[in-house]
Amino acid sequence: MNNGVLAFSIIFIPLIGALLLPLAGRISRGLRNALALVFVASSFVLSLKLIPFVMSGHTLAINKPLLMGLNFTLNVDSLAVFMAATSSLIGAIIILYSFGYISHYENQNEYYLMVVLFLGSMMGIIFSANLIFLYMFWEMTAIASWRLIGFFRKDSDWMRADKAFLVTMFGAVMMLVGFIYIYSKTGSFDIPVIRGILSARPLPDMAVLLILFGIFTKSATLPFHTWLPDAGIAPSPVTALLHAAVLVKIGVYVFARLFVVSFEMSQAWYTAVPLIAGLSAVISAGAALVEVDIKRIVAYSTISQIGFIFFGLSTSHKIGVTGGLLYILMHGMAKAGLFLSAGIIEQNAKTKDITRMGGLIKTMPLTALSFLFCAFSVMAIPPFGGFFSKYLVFMGAIEDGSFVLTFLFLLGAILTILYLLRMFKFIFLGDLKIEAREGSRIMVASVVLLAALSLAAGIFVNYPNRLVQMVVR
Amino acid sequence: MKQIFLPIVTPLAAALLVLCAPKKSNRMKEALALAGAAVNLFVAASLFNKNVNFSAPWLGFGIDLSLRADLLAGFILIAAAGFGFLVTLYSLAFMSDKASAKQFYFYLLVTLCLVNGAVLAENLFLMLFFWEGLLLTLFGMIAIGGKDSYKTAIKAFTIVGVSDLCMMIGIALTAHLAGTLAMSKISLSFTPMAGLAFTLLMIGALAKAGAMPFHSWIPDASLASPLPFMAFLPAALEKLLGIYFLARISLDMFRLSPGAWPSAMLMIIGSATILLAVMMALIQKDYKKLLSYHAISQVGYMVLGIGTALPAGIIGGLFHMINHAMYKSCLFLTAGSVEKEAGSTDLEKLGGIGLKMPVTFACFLIAAMSISGVPPFNGFFSKELLYGAALERGLVFYAAAALGSFFTALSFLKLGHAVYLGRIREENKNVKEAPWGMLFPMIALAAGCVIFGLWNKFPIHNIIQPIVAGEFSESMNAKIILATVIILCAALIHHLVSVKLRKRAINAVDNIHHAPMLSVIYDKAEKRHFDPYDIGLKAVSVFVWSAFLLDRMNDFIYNRLAPGCLGLAGRFISRSHSGNFATYIGWSILGMLIIVIFLMRGL
Repeated sequence: MNNGVLAFSIIFIPLIGALLLPLAGRISRGLRNALALVFVASSFVLSLKLIPFVMSGHTLAINKPLLMGLNFTLNVDSLAVFMAATSSLIGAIIILYSFGYISHYENQNEYYLMVVLFLGSMMGIIFSANLIFLYMFWEMTAIASWRLIGFFRKDSDWMRADKAFLVTMFGAVMMLVGFIYIYSKTGSFDIPVIRGILSARPLPDMAVLLILFGIFTKSATLPFHTWLPDAGIAPSPVTALLHAAVLVKIGVYVFARLFVVSFEMSQAWYTAVPLIAGLSAVISAGAALVEVDIKRIVAYSTISQIGFIFFGLSTSHKIGVTGGLLYILMHGMAKAGLFLSAGIIEQNAKTKDITRMGGLIKTMPLTALSFLFCAFSVMAIPPFGGFFSKYLVFMGAIEDGSFVLTFLFLLGAILTILYLLRMFKFIFLGDLKIEAREGSRIMVASVVLLAALSLAAGIFVNYPNRLVQMVVR
Repeated sequence: MKQIFLPIVTPLAAALLVLCAPKKSNRMKEALALAGAAVNLFVAASLFNKNVNFSAPWLGFGIDLSLRADLLAGFILIAAAGFGFLVTLYSLAFMSDKASAKQFYFYLLVTLCLVNGAVLAENLFLMLFFWEGLLLTLFGMIAIGGKDSYKTAIKAFTIVGVSDLCMMIGIALTAHLAGTLAMSKISLSFTPMAGLAFTLLMIGALAKAGAMPFHSWIPDASLASPLPFMAFLPAALEKLLGIYFLARISLDMFRLSPGAWPSAMLMIIGSATILLAVMMALIQKDYKKLLSYHAISQVGYMVLGIGTALPAGIIGGLFHMINHAMYKSCLFLTAGSVEKEAGSTDLEKLGGIGLKMPVTFACFLIAAMSISGVPPFNGFFSKELLYGAALERGLVFYAAAALGSFFTALSFLKLGHAVYLGRIREENKNVKEAPWGMLFPMIALAAGCVIFGLWNKFPIHNIIQPIVAGEFSESMNAKIILATVIILCAALIHHLVSVKLRKRAINAVDNIHHAPMLSVIYDKAEKRHFDPYDIGLKAVSVFVWSAFLLDRMNDFIYNRLAPGCLGLAGRFISRSHSGNFATYIGWSILGMLIIVIFLMRGL
C-alpha cells in the first residue's frame, strides 16, 4: 500500500468507523466491540507499517487544496508515526479493557462511538500539517472528551464535564487566535509554508503566547490544570484515555510539532516554559500527596509528569528532546496501567478513598503487581522504561545549563516516589479492610499487558529510542 | 558468549529458573539457588586479576554498553560472589520453613546479578542502571520479612531511592563537565560545579553504604527483614558496592586531595557516623539491632579513611571494607543461629548459651574481636592504617575513631557476655547447636577474619595497594598501637567493674546510658526524634500542604470566581433588559454620547 494511503487510513478508519459503531451495536454487542478494537488496532498496525519508511529518513507531505486556502495537508514523519503508534497502542489496550469495565453500564453504543472518534481525531491532529485542520481535530477531541467525562450523567458529572470543556475550549480559542495571527503575518496555515516564510526567524511572541494557552490547557499544566483531577469522575478507561493516550498528550505533541521540529521560539520561552512546567510538576506532586481519592492522586501525578515532558521538550539539546518524547511513550503506558488498575480497584472495592482500602495485594495480586510495575516505571526505577526517559530529560537539561530547574524537577521526582509509594501502601499493604475480588479476566489481562510493556520498553528501549532519534536528527 | 557477561547473565538465569521452579518441591529451588550462587562464584573467580573490556553502542549520547573488569572490580566481584554463596548456603537451613523462601532466593540471585553489573559497568549510566535496580530487590527482600515489614521496606526504598535520584543528577552533571560517561576517562578537579557533582554522587554512594544520615532504615530492617538479608545486603554487599563507588569517584574520577574541601566533608561525615551510631549501638538490648547500628558505625571508618585522601587512609578504608563485610556478616549469621535455636534475639531472654552452642560462640568471639580491633585479627590492621591517616589529618578525627573503638569494644563485651556467658535461663536449657549448613558459612567467615589478620600483607599488597596510587609507609606507629591496647584494656576493665556493680551483663553500660545530659538525648533518640527520615518527611509535608493549598486556591478561580463573575455580569445585563421604555432611551442616549465624545476626541 502507498504510504500516503496508509496515513490517510490511520486517520479515517477510526474516524469514519466510529460512526458505524452505533449501527453495529444494534446488531450485536460482540460485533460492535470487535469492530471498535479493530478500528483502533488497525491504526496501530498501519503506523507500525510506516516505521520502516520514516526510519530510512524519508518524510511525506500530502497536499489537497480545498477552498479558501484551507488545504488538507498531511505530514508523515518520524514524530507523527511515533506518536500515532504510541497513542493507538495504548488506545487499543484501553478498548480491550473497556470490554470488561463498561459491560454493565448503559449507553455503551455512545461510549464506543466517542472513544473511537476520540482516538481518530487524535490521529488527525498527529498527521495534520495545516493549522486549521489541527484546530478542528483538536476541538473534536474536546467534544468527545466532554461527552465521555459526563458519561454517568449525574449532575456533578455534568458540571465537571462542562468545566473540562470550557477550560480547554478557552485555550483552544486562544490558540486559534494565535493561528490567525500567524496567518496575518505569513499568509498561510500550512506549517511547511510558514516555515519557509519565517526561514529560521522565531515565531512572533504574541502567537507563541496564544498557542501556549491552548497547549497548557489541553495538557493540564499549572494554572490551567484543575479540570483534569475533576475529570476523574469519568469511567476509568476514559480517564486512562484522557491521561495516558490522548488528551493531555495532544498538548505535548503539538508543542513538539510546532516548537521543536517546525518553528523557533524566542529565547525567553526556553526559560519560561520549563519554569511553568517545573512549578506545575512540583505543586501537583504536592497535591498528590494530600489527596485520598485514588483517581485524583493519579491525575495529579499525570500533571506532574507532563511537566517533565515539557521540561525535556523545551531544552534546546537533542538529548532532552529525545528524553521528552520517550517520556510520552513510557508515561503513557505506565499511567494507563495505573488508571486501569485504579479502575479495577474502584469497581471491586466500591470506593475511591485509599484510606478505606488496605491489604488488597492478598485478594488481587496480579493487579497489585501490575500497579507496582507501572509505578516503578513512573518513579524511574530501572529496568522499567521510565528510568531512561527521566534520565535523558535530566541530562538534556544539564547539558543546556539549566541547573536550578534541574533541582526543581529533582524535587518533583522525589515527590513522585513518595506519592506513588504512599498510594501503593494504602491500597495494597497492611490489613485487609475491604474484601474486594480480582477484576474480570480481560481487565486484569490488559493491566498486566501494560505492566509488561512498561518493562519491555525498558529492556528494549533502543527500538523506540532509534525512532525518536530520527525526530531530533 | 563474552566472558565478561557471565557474572551478569549467570545469576539472572539462575534467578529466573528459581522463579519457574515448581511450587511443591523445596529441594529443587534450593538446589537451583545454591548452584546459581556457586557458578557465580566460579565465574567471578575466573575473572579475577584479568583486564577485560567490552563495549557496544546503545542509546547514543555517550551512553553505551561498556563493561570493564580490572583489579578493583574483580576483587569486589569475587567478594560479593563469596558472600552470595555463603549466605545462600546459610539460608538453606535458616529459610527452610519459611513460605517466602522462593522469593528470597530469587531476590538474592537478582541482587548478585545487579551488583556484578554495577561493579563491572564502565559507563556511568550503565552503572546507574544496575545500581538503581537494586532498589527493587531491596524492597522485596525486606517486604517478605513479615506482616508489618512493608513499612520498613517503604522507608528503605524511599531513602535509597531519593539518594539514587540525586546520583542520577550527579551522573548527568559529571557527564556534562567531563564530556564523557566512560568512568576511566573522567578526571575532574574540584571546581564548584564539579564539587556539586561529586557531592551528588557521594550521596548515592553513602546511602548505598548506609552512612549517616541515610542509615535509619537499617536498624528497622534488622528486626523486620529475614536475617540472611541483613548478613547479605546491609552488612556485606551494600558496603562493598557503596565504598567501591566512593573509592572510584574519589580516586579515579575526581582528584581528591587532602586540600580539597570534599575531603574534609567526607572525614566529618565519617567521624560523625562512627560516633553517633556506636553510641546508639551501645544501649541496644536486641542482638540484631545492636549489630545493625555497628553496621552503620563501621561505614564511618571506611568513609573517614577514604576521606583522608592519603594512601594509608584509602588502603585502610578499602581493607576495612572487606574486613567489615566478613566479620559483620559472620556476626549477623551468629545472630541468626541464636534466633533459630533459642527463639529470640532479645538480650533479656538470652544468657549462658555459649556452652550449648560452642561453634557459634567461637565464631562470635573471633568476629567480635575483629570488629573491636583486637590484634591479630583483621579489624586491628585496617583500623591501625586508618588511625595513622586520621592522625595525620587532625587529632580530632583520630580521637573520634579511637573513641568509636572504645565504645565498640564495650558494646561487644556487653553483647557477648549477655548472650553467651552468665547463668543460663530456664527457657534456654534445651538450646542445641545450629545445623552444619549454618555453621559452615560462619566458620568460613571467621576463618577469613583470622587469615586476613595474620597474613594481612597479602591482601594489602596484592589487591588493594595496586589500586591506590602513591606510597605509604609500612611501619606502624608504635604510639597508636599502644593507645589501641590501652583503649581495649580500658573497655575490658570498665566492663568487668560495671558488671560487678550492676550484677547483670545487660546493664553493663547503664552508667553511660543514664549519664546526665546523655540520658536525655538517648531518650529522645529512642523515641525517634532524630530520625532523618522522619524529619525529612515532616519538612516535605509542610511543603506538600502549602502546594495543596495553592492548588485549591487555583481551583477556586475556576469553580467559584470565574462562574461567579460571569453570573454577576449576566444578572446585571438581564436586569438592564427591564422592558421599561424610558430606561432604554436613557441607555441609547448614553451610548450616543460616548460615540460622540469618542469621535470628537480625534478633532
